Amino acid sequence: MIVFDHVSKIYPNGTVGLKDVNLTIKDGEFVAIIGRSGAGKSTLLRSVNRMHDISEGTLTVNGTNVSELKGKTLRQFRRGIGMVFQSFNLVSRTTVIRNVLSACVPEMPFWRVLLGAFRKDDKIKALESLDKVGILDKAYIRADQLSGGQQQRVALARTLAQDPQIILADEPVAALDPVTAKQVMEDFVRINKEMGISILLNIHHVELALEYADRIIGIRAGEIVYDGPSDAVDQSVLDAIYGGAMEEAE
Amino acid sequence: MENKIKKAYENAPKTWILKLVLTLVVVCILVWSSSTVKITDNSGKGLQVAGNIISGIFHPDPKLLFTTAKAGVPYLLLETMCIAFLGTIVGAVISVPLSFLSASNIMPKPLALIGRTLIAAIRTIPAFIYGLMFIRVTGPGPFAGLLTMSLCSIGMVSKMFIESIEDLDKRILESLDAAGCTTFQKIRYGILPQLFPDFMSTLIYRFDMNLRDATVLGLVGAGGIGAPLIFAMSAYRWNEVGSILLGLIILVLIIEWISSKIRSKLTRG
Amino acid sequence: MKLYDRIFRPKKYTLPNGKVVEEKFTRLPLVLLILLVCTIISVHITGFNFAILGRNGSKFFDILKAMFPPNTGYMPKIWQPLWDTIKMSVLGSFVGAVLAVPFAVLAASNIVSNRVVVFVDRLFLSLVRTLPTLVCALIATYIFGLGTMAGTCAIAVFTFAYIGKQLFELIETVDMGPYQAMEALGANRVKSFVTAIFPQVLPTYISVSLFCLEGNVRYASILGYVGAGGLGLIMNEKIGWREYDSVGMILIVLFITVVAIEWLSHTIRKHLT
Repeated sequence: MIVFDHVSKIYPNGTVGLKDVNLTIKDGEFVAIIGRSGAGKSTLLRSVNRMHDISEGTLTVNGTNVSELKGKTLRQFRRGIGMVFQSFNLVSRTTVIRNVLSACVPEMPFWRVLLGAFRKDDKIKALESLDKVGILDKAYIRADQLSGGQQQRVALARTLAQDPQIILADEPVAALDPVTAKQVMEDFVRINKEMGISILLNIHHVELALEYADRIIGIRAGEIVYDGPSDAVDQSVLDAIYGGAMEEAE
Repeated sequence: MENKIKKAYENAPKTWILKLVLTLVVVCILVWSSSTVKITDNSGKGLQVAGNIISGIFHPDPKLLFTTAKAGVPYLLLETMCIAFLGTIVGAVISVPLSFLSASNIMPKPLALIGRTLIAAIRTIPAFIYGLMFIRVTGPGPFAGLLTMSLCSIGMVSKMFIESIEDLDKRILESLDAAGCTTFQKIRYGILPQLFPDFMSTLIYRFDMNLRDATVLGLVGAGGIGAPLIFAMSAYRWNEVGSILLGLIILVLIIEWISSKIRSKLTRG
Repeated sequence: MKLYDRIFRPKKYTLPNGKVVEEKFTRLPLVLLILLVCTIISVHITGFNFAILGRNGSKFFDILKAMFPPNTGYMPKIWQPLWDTIKMSVLGSFVGAVLAVPFAVLAASNIVSNRVVVFVDRLFLSLVRTLPTLVCALIATYIFGLGTMAGTCAIAVFTFAYIGKQLFELIETVDMGPYQAMEALGANRVKSFVTAIFPQVLPTYISVSLFCLEGNVRYASILGYVGAGGLGLIMNEKIGWREYDSVGMILIVLFITVVAIEWLSHTIRKHLT
């Protein structure tokens, strides 16, 4: 459960990232955050695992006050939250399985990390995660030889290997072509439904968001302007979120 | 399901054997070469020397540092800089034809191979032997030093030049061809603009290196700041050593800073 | 540059549609002028003189001629110093390359956020780099006595400074995405670095180290001149006695060695990328 209680974020240069956000996301929900670029989607998402600090209010994740975390406790906390990025963020020069295995790194002794000597259990777990996203056969190939969609699946497998309760996805399909984007979105849905992992993603394809997510959060200039089920989103809601900029942009 | 994963686990490429062999080879080479390590028991004296040099740098000889006499640090540095500068230019003049001859994308293979062998041969002979050779031509002094520097520059400069030539983007030539350009026009507008920044950047970098390496010339009396430095060191005049090193370090740092500025401007435009 | 633009005003072109484009006056004359002045000063100070070169130029080849035919009988005495030279280069390069890693990491501004640490570390690397190798070797001979140990140390110091700079520049151009991903999944900074950055820089790091090794074999031959062991030592001796045919033999052996090592390292480097 993620609870935002009067959360605000102001960047050092004075830009307002978030303005008085109140939000509750229950376990097992599939939430999409939509909004224009710079509206604060990323800030909202990244404050959950404290990749960004918040300036005011309290943010509680599974009963933990995120702002109070430091050093070791913060890292321990992040173990339970998976994160997927727009640019996949894989080490492209190494094999797929090594990328997935990096999810086990925080719990390994340092010499094993240095030598890359992973235990059998970890390897099996990594292979299982790869199987869950359907690319088991690519395990020993270098990551840079895969297509974009496959690379995003590797990133997903890496996240699954850390057994998260929540997965945060920062524009996970923005770098993919429309067909692949749908496939990856379907992966997210499967992970959400079958494993009961909450998914919080921000996305700028409105159609994809409406099609796959259960709940939509619309954000504009750091403020939440819509929060409700995806089937209740209509043109007036979109206008409120995008401020009529849709026509302007097209 | 379980089976599939087990199979994938067992199918893992056995890279550890290769890694083990490589590690063993490296360890063996290192053990073999470790015979050069001999700890002799005069470290106390050595540390004292190092201490003396450092204290010399902090207590430089002002008479040496602020004088315009020919034996003073400023003049020696100027001389060193001139040797490095002219050495780089002469080296570049020799390197340009040599590297065009040795570029395998514009010259026939055998010719390129001969060129490369020649460059490798020039590179092998250590600087002080060139110094000795040139002293017979010009007598001791900075003239011999600059000629030595230019020969020493050839190796690295032509190696970098060859790389730039072989990296030439030929699609530009194609488009110039399509626009109906003559061979001369193609060279002027298709090749030179590509090569010029690379060449300049190499030369500036080499100037930087020559300035550093110029101390070697002092060994054989080919001018520059090396000779007074070595004399001062062997005579244990640490204040003098300190002032010369101080001057050299400051000069090199300044030149390095300028050269990195110019080079980043050249590559980024 | 502003002053320059004021003297040589930028040209203005007015397009048919009324837009004005400014073209700054070319900097070429300024650059050429500076180069010319530098050249004239340099020629004056170094006493560069084509006449001498023309008159005495052939004397350059005196020593070279005396080197041929090389004295093959001297070969048996070359082996030991040759191995010494190679050992010095290998060990020195290895030690220098390994020592450079922590310093390079601390000098990379994308890994270390503390500006002071980065600045001090970079200054240190620069200072070590400015120290001429020869001076290093001389100091080393004072500390360790004449012999290969001094040479190994000098090479290690030189390699350390060179690779330290190359490596930190390399680390700064690395893709930070994987590092961020590692931080997001709860790894500490050291582990994140080892898993996310290390694999990215490792091939180039090894390649640069091998390149350095190539150069060091050559350098090692100079070091002997100040008594730091290896081929340079016997070369210096033979030059002193004017036995140039033996020097020729040494140079041929050195040449073959350098070419062999270059070929070896070139092959390894090709495999790496």
